[in-house]
Amino acid sequence: MSYFRITLLRSAIGLPRRTTDVLKALGLKKRMATVFHPVSSSAAGQIMKVKELVEVKEVENYMSQHEVWLERKPDPGYYVEKTVAQERGESLQQ
Amino acid sequence: MFKPTQSLFGGLLWKTPWRLSSPQKARQRKRLRAVDRVVDTVSAALARNGQNTKAVERWYKEMPREEEMLPKDKYTLFDKKEKSYRKGIHKLPKWTRVSQRVNPPGF
Repeated sequence: MSYFRITLLRSAIGLPRRTTDVLKALGLKKRMATVFHPVSSSAAGQIMKVKELVEVKEVENYMSQHEVWLERKPDPGYYVEKTVAQERGESLQQ
Repeated sequence: MFKPTQSLFGGLLWKTPWRLSSPQKARQRKRLRAVDRVVDTVSAALARNGQNTKAVERWYKEMPREEEMLPKDKYTLFDKKEKSYRKGIHKLPKWTRVSQRVNPPGF
């Protein structure tokens, strides 16, 4: 089953009340929010109501909000070779 | 020297240019293409699942794509009160977030 990955790019401020209601029904509360909906004609109808405001992709898998957030997380610029606990374990073995 | 201009006489004067600038037109085309892309994605996804929606069918039947549109329809819209029956699309309220693609035939 595939999903619609919907991202709100433009806000509905100043647009008719129904537009805001459709966004709310899709679960889009603020700009750059991303939601996943199974591909269905009802979801498609909802997207068509707000097509000027959103970006849509068809994806195979559902992603949790945390996974979406991890996608946007910048590279920290370092990686952890060894944790303090590992180092202590090694020193105790010697 | 006093130079009588509209803004000195009237105080606050807001002027909206009568036509779009070329970057505004470029952004307008970009937005039109973005909407086309959304509709195409939705339609392709539904077709793959063997479904369809009235809204998508109606869009394809009634609305031209960005590349099919005349420049006249991209940047202006019909207005009966104008001498040339056309005014800049930027006079349309919320024009960057509404789909205004077709105009009365002959105008």
